[in-house]
Amino acid sequence: MDKFDFEITLDGERVPARRGETIYEVSERHQKDIPTLCYDPRLEALGACRLCVVELEGARNPVASCTTRAEPGMNITTRSSRLEMHRGVLLEMVASENRDLDVDPLSGYASGEMATLLDRYGARSGRFAGAKSGTSRPDDDNPFILRDYENCISCYRCVRVCAEQEGDYAISIMNRGFETQITTEFEGLLKGSACTFCGQCIQTCPTGALADIKALANKDVPGETKKTRTICTYCGVGCSVDVMTREDKIVGVLPAMDGPANLGALCVKGQFAFDFVSHPDRLKAPLVRGEDGELHETDWDTALDRAAGGFVKANQEHGRESVYGIASGRAPHEAAYMMQRFIRGGFGTNQIDNCSRA
Amino acid sequence: MTNPSDLDLFEAWRAQPAPLLPLLHAFHERDGHLSEEALRAVSKDLRIPIADLFGTVTFYHHFARETGGRARPRVCVGPICALRGAQKLLDGIDDALGMPCPGRCDEPIPVLDGDRVLCGLAAADLSERPSPLPPKTPDPASECVFAHIRTPGRASLDGYRSSGGYGGLTAALAGSPEALLDVIDASSLAGRGGAGFPTGRKWRAVAEAEGAPKSIVCNADEGEPGCFKDRALMDYDPHAIIEGMLAAGYATGSTRGIIYLRYEYPSTMKVLEDAISEARAAGLVGPDALGAGRPFELCVRRGAGAYICGEETSLLNSLEGKHPFPRNRPPFPVTHGFENLPTVVNNVETLASIPHILANGADWYRDLGLGDHAGTKVISLSGDILRPGNYEVPMGFSLATLLEEWAGGAPEGRTIQAVTMAGLSGGFLAGDDLDVTLDEPSIRSKGSFLGAGGIMVFDDSRDMVDVAHAAMEFFAEESCGKCFPCRIGTQRLTERLHGGGPNDLGDWIDEVNDLGKTMKETSACGLGQAAPLITESLLRYFPAQVTRHVTGDGSSPG
Repeated sequence: MDKFDFEITLDGERVPARRGETIYEVSERHQKDIPTLCYDPRLEALGACRLCVVELEGARNPVASCTTRAEPGMNITTRSSRLEMHRGVLLEMVASENRDLDVDPLSGYASGEMATLLDRYGARSGRFAGAKSGTSRPDDDNPFILRDYENCISCYRCVRVCAEQEGDYAISIMNRGFETQITTEFEGLLKGSACTFCGQCIQTCPTGALADIKALANKDVPGETKKTRTICTYCGVGCSVDVMTREDKIVGVLPAMDGPANLGALCVKGQFAFDFVSHPDRLKAPLVRGEDGELHETDWDTALDRAAGGFVKANQEHGRESVYGIASGRAPHEAAYMMQRFIRGGFGTNQIDNCSRA
Repeated sequence: MTNPSDLDLFEAWRAQPAPLLPLLHAFHERDGHLSEEALRAVSKDLRIPIADLFGTVTFYHHFARETGGRARPRVCVGPICALRGAQKLLDGIDDALGMPCPGRCDEPIPVLDGDRVLCGLAAADLSERPSPLPPKTPDPASECVFAHIRTPGRASLDGYRSSGGYGGLTAALAGSPEALLDVIDASSLAGRGGAGFPTGRKWRAVAEAEGAPKSIVCNADEGEPGCFKDRALMDYDPHAIIEGMLAAGYATGSTRGIIYLRYEYPSTMKVLEDAISEARAAGLVGPDALGAGRPFELCVRRGAGAYICGEETSLLNSLEGKHPFPRNRPPFPVTHGFENLPTVVNNVETLASIPHILANGADWYRDLGLGDHAGTKVISLSGDILRPGNYEVPMGFSLATLLEEWAGGAPEGRTIQAVTMAGLSGGFLAGDDLDVTLDEPSIRSKGSFLGAGGIMVFDDSRDMVDVAHAAMEFFAEESCGKCFPCRIGTQRLTERLHGGGPNDLGDWIDEVNDLGKTMKETSACGLGQAAPLITESLLRYFPAQVTRHVTGDGSSPG
């Protein structure tokens, strides 16, 4: 990766570049901080928002740096009064089509991107006022993904992440022009579509039009939001997550874009199933079934004795092959190892598996 | 005859080139609309995700998804027809829908009724009629593509051959592809669809590109309002286009050709398919089309109503069954075209010029132009002009001569207030700037461009803000929605030409100018780059009409 193929001139400075790199990628390496709204480094560049336009010597119009590959000898300007003027106007245009410019940060990982750029470019002028675009779907009663398209800017990051990262192709682009609308097949609800509720569309949305309903339910929980990097406990893939907490309550989960196993991807469980931690139904002490057929709280020794008794009985009556161990994918490596030792050594059977294989 | 089953349709189309559009049309015709069941079946058979297929179908104007939708008459509400009372006609036809300009501006208002195009000013006198032939030219010696178009029977293979057709190709096939490329280069022929790219250079790039099979795509998606030249060429001289494509195939080593025809030309579809059948029966198309066992296959694919599909990369996506957004360039179609393989995309008029160049020589063609300009250009003239129609003029010809002498000028008692250029895409020319010659350098010096050669004429009775509004509404409706400046900008400009935006004139002008500048310089394709020429030229030529529109002050002089 260290080998460079040629040089280009970037804001007056000769910099090295590799064949196949885009101007945007080279510029990012040199901290040019070019604004974007439709860009997600994980996705194929689309060139829709046009904020990343740069001046290329010899080209009549500015070119989109995200889709234009660096070529030997190119002379690029990433910032000029002309470019900043266009970027400001583009942002004023985008701001003019949405109901809200600011959303709760719990909406999603990238949900503040547009608002941040509006501030950077002083684009909250209210110019270009007119019809708003997008029709929200309050009728979609799924518990995870808010579909508030009145805040949609048609960057198609959701459609692209669904197709390119998740491979679900659950959503697509309907109609044309200003009437463009993100849709499922036949305008149905997400639960009737190919959606797996992985939530990646939420996390790439730069305006919060798609938002995390579970996290937003905690928007009134007091306290500063703290993020803790950890590994999702649901299965053996090892997705990195940033768990958001306020005081001692988990308020939401963000995928770690730099997580080596997931690069920002999560599944429905890792993304949304965090509220068991403080759920009133959560078991905090062992329970055993009494003579009355009901479960009763007890201490660990009693519970473990009862379980051991059951295993011994099964072994005596039906033999060692009557036991089959499935380790929980939520357990760490060490526990999985102990589990297989326990089944193999303790019961003398090779019937041991792990639910992460599924 | 029983209706074909789903399976019949899949078996007919799934192995054909570019199968999605014809398959959708087959279901559309069979069922009268595209039902959910039909789309689910197509999705499964062609392995296109259903959400993608659904979204793509909604992109096109003419695919109906409600029962009986295909049969609903569509009435042109384009800028010229609007002046002739299109709204009244639309209101007078039961269940009718409006549609953007279907390329019939040289006749009364067109109505698309199933597979027929009817024309007339009132519901009672609509009738089906053939495309008008180009009016007689005062200068027959300077015609190229129209040289034989008025010859009766020219559309048949016999008729075409008896007026010299396929002679140029036969001679070219006796020489090398390189020699053919040299002739096209020497002719200085350039793309007649609007972009003006040198045809020889495009062909050479495809000839030299790696990858096979290569394709020749004829762009017959003539969607620019006020342009109807390709329809006349295809209806009356289809073999010229086929011959041009075969020559392109030979020059570039391409083995397959596709004509992408706009939905609104149903009778042309039949003309082209008949001509291809005749050519195939004569061995001109097929396994040995280019001699020595070199094949060339040719088919027509019908669009479904989307202006942007006239943009070549959008057209290619449409052919491939993808969402018809324009692609990012580079890479260009010459290396990454149809199915990501080297592809020539040429306009109908460009291809129709080829047989004449081959028959008469490169020098002959180049010398048809005036001064430094090579060849000819067909101009589609419509609106407030005595003799509308298609005129083939030498490149560099005087606009005033065309308007006043050839086409008879404005109607009695009127004067020409403004004309559009490039259909709508070039915006308006007016006043002293009407003193231009019909070639890119001259027209570009006025901030406009010649493009595909559509010119709409507006006399001094017309409200130019209204005209500009109709134009911008068209662009807004046809904006594909991919890039922000075009998607939002065309909408905002439309609103501002229809009573929206600031009430303060200075603020209004600032907003319109800022929107226009950013659209022009940052839009991803020609649609968004060209649309603001409408407002730019409106402000340049008609500031008083703009003032009146914004401030509501009727006392300002016109």
